[in-house]
Amino acid sequence: MEVAMKVNTEAMKDAQVGNTETEPAIPVSSDDLPIEQGEIIIEEITRNHKLLHRHRLKQNNITIGRNYQNDIILTDPHICPQHLSLNYSQDVWCINDNNSVNGTSLENKECKKQDGNQQVLNDGDVIVLGKSQLRILFKSHSVVDTIAFSPFESLIDLIRHPVAVLTSIALFILITANIAYLNQPTEINISQLFVSAFSMSLLFALWPAAVALVSHLTKHDPRILAQLGISFTFFILMWLSDLLEEIIAFNSASNSVLGLIIALVPISLAFSLFWLNSYIGFHVSSKRRIVVALSITILLFGGSYLLQYSKKPEFNPHPQYSATIMAPSYLIAPSNSVDSFIEQSNALFEQANKAAQQD
Amino acid sequence: MKIFFTLVFILLSHTTFATEQAEEIFAQLTPSLYQIKLIDKASGEKSSIGSGFQISKEGIIATNYHVISSYARHPEKYRIEYLDHQGNTAEVDLVSVDVINDLALVKRQVNGDMPYFKLSDTKPIKGEKLFALGNPHDLGMIVVPGTYNGLKKESFNERIHFTGSINSGMSGGPVVNKSEQVVGINVATSGNQIGFLVPHEKLVKLFYDYNKEAPEDIKQQMAAQLFSNQNKLMKALLTNTWQSKELAGKAMFPVIKVPFIRCWGDSNADKKDALILAAIANCSLDENTYLSSHFFTGSVEIEFRYMQAKNLSDNKFYHLYQKQIARAGTGNRAGKDDVSEYQCNHDLITPVSTANTSKTITNKSVFCTRAYKDFPGLFDVLYLGASVDKNQQALVSHFTLAGVSQENAMAFTGKFMEAVSWK
Repeated sequence: MEVAMKVNTEAMKDAQVGNTETEPAIPVSSDDLPIEQGEIIIEEITRNHKLLHRHRLKQNNITIGRNYQNDIILTDPHICPQHLSLNYSQDVWCINDNNSVNGTSLENKECKKQDGNQQVLNDGDVIVLGKSQLRILFKSHSVVDTIAFSPFESLIDLIRHPVAVLTSIALFILITANIAYLNQPTEINISQLFVSAFSMSLLFALWPAAVALVSHLTKHDPRILAQLGISFTFFILMWLSDLLEEIIAFNSASNSVLGLIIALVPISLAFSLFWLNSYIGFHVSSKRRIVVALSITILLFGGSYLLQYSKKPEFNPHPQYSATIMAPSYLIAPSNSVDSFIEQSNALFEQANKAAQQD
Repeated sequence: MKIFFTLVFILLSHTTFATEQAEEIFAQLTPSLYQIKLIDKASGEKSSIGSGFQISKEGIIATNYHVISSYARHPEKYRIEYLDHQGNTAEVDLVSVDVINDLALVKRQVNGDMPYFKLSDTKPIKGEKLFALGNPHDLGMIVVPGTYNGLKKESFNERIHFTGSINSGMSGGPVVNKSEQVVGINVATSGNQIGFLVPHEKLVKLFYDYNKEAPEDIKQQMAAQLFSNQNKLMKALLTNTWQSKELAGKAMFPVIKVPFIRCWGDSNADKKDALILAAIANCSLDENTYLSSHFFTGSVEIEFRYMQAKNLSDNKFYHLYQKQIARAGTGNRAGKDDVSEYQCNHDLITPVSTANTSKTITNKSVFCTRAYKDFPGLFDVLYLGASVDKNQQALVSHFTLAGVSQENAMAFTGKFMEAVSWK
């Protein structure tokens, strides 16, 4: 008797924690086993399985519906006032549809959809009622491992510092102005150069702004400064790789292997930029992040290649040659003799003959 | 006043005399004159017209190559027809061509002996009155009096300079002297009474060669002619003196001492706001060989461009300089059916200078070539050398050769590269 009493008080205590408004628990008969208290976590989620609200309930009866007597009140107009109830007994949760207009269905982890009435709930199941979805989790639900801060985190912290962001944008403006100055065949004044460089930087700022906007819209932290800092740092790096490519093209003869390798640098830079954009802006799995960054890179470079390819005429009467020249201070490679050039050029005649016979 | 009237009278009487003579010549020669028509087989309509004249009783008719060039290049698409003074039309066969001198022989069927043009044994003398015959713009056969003014100056393949109106459609028509003997064949005009004729010796030779041995295949005959002509031209270019000349006092470039290569110069010294001072010397062969309306060969172009920066950073100077050399074009027109696409290579080259050994130049050198599809062994080549060893000065050396052999092209390239240096 003593033992039973003890258990009863414990059960009462539990009940008080779960629901303070309940009547004092009626002592159960000494023969019965104490009724186990159910505990359940119900998550309101969007159709894309994004979390809206999370409820943790410690009671054996949960009612869900549109009216205000329910434990979980949903505003979806396709849901009935007393749509369904969840009942806990004998270690399992059961779902009960109260003859709702639109019915209830249940999706389990294998994405199998079935009628929801009188079903036993499992951890991770999703109840679909009206146009809303509820995910059921039990407290034993296992969570994924903690992700340690990656080394990028400290780099991003450095780059997103306002001073660093301003410096990278200023550097970008300087580079853009310099390129415009180099390409201008006539005299040009400084203010004109900087106005166009500034508008160019605004144009380039659209990309990090767009990424930040998308991450904000998808309920992530926008982190606009980090996005700006990373993007402009990479724009500068791409300019550097262009410069490097030019120096190599200037110093090497045709068909050099180095020229081919250096062409891969901007592609890998673009990939890294997109990867970091997604790392800063979105919490997705690393596999997905790589896939997204890779697809954008392929879209960008493949698209521009396709565009070039489609514009290419069937027959080009003009010679296509690389005429990269730079000031003598960039000249590193030794120059060759006329004889070696003639020997090299002799091979072209064979190529031309082959090309002539081809079509 | 009296003198004036006398002059007018003399002039008038002279014209009347000339007109009478022309009438007489026209009446006698007209049975041997033809309009040559190229008929497109598919549509049945003429696609090009020219004139022709019979030069033997067996029915050999001489005309220009360019009148029948479409047939020579695509015999399956066209047929050649003649139209005589009585309006009779019949098909003729192409039997021989001289593509360098723009001549062709076609053969018509004859039933009996026919009158024909005699080819002159002598050259005309300067100032001699000549009569050009032909059918301009399909308007009917006409006779045009004019004057022989010697051979065109400085030409590689000789042409007679004829003062008289030659119009399109008259191509291939004969030019005769007073004794009705052919001394030339209408071929081209530069307007304002300046006409050009192929000297009759070329036709005599072509006809002689044809009688000795008729060519088996027109394409092979053309290929052989193009090949030997480029050998002749390149030999002249390679063996004559290459004189070293100064460009803007800073660079040395070669001038080939042959009369048919003519040079022109230009600079922008008058433009005060130009960022770069440029001086250009340009030498070229004024003639080329017509193969079809979109395919010319045999041209030679050489260009040197000296540039000096005015208040510019080295980087900006080289940026603008690069734009100048980014689009070197071809010297001759050719299409997809005629040639392959260009194949190019480039390298940094410091030639051992033949002109000024101490002041060598380091160039970014580009060489491109494309092959002829119908005439194997012939190529168009292009060379571009851009100096990269001076901060504020640049020298661009450039040439194109059309329709040359690999051996000649490379010999020329090597010699050209070594002839350019700083001063």
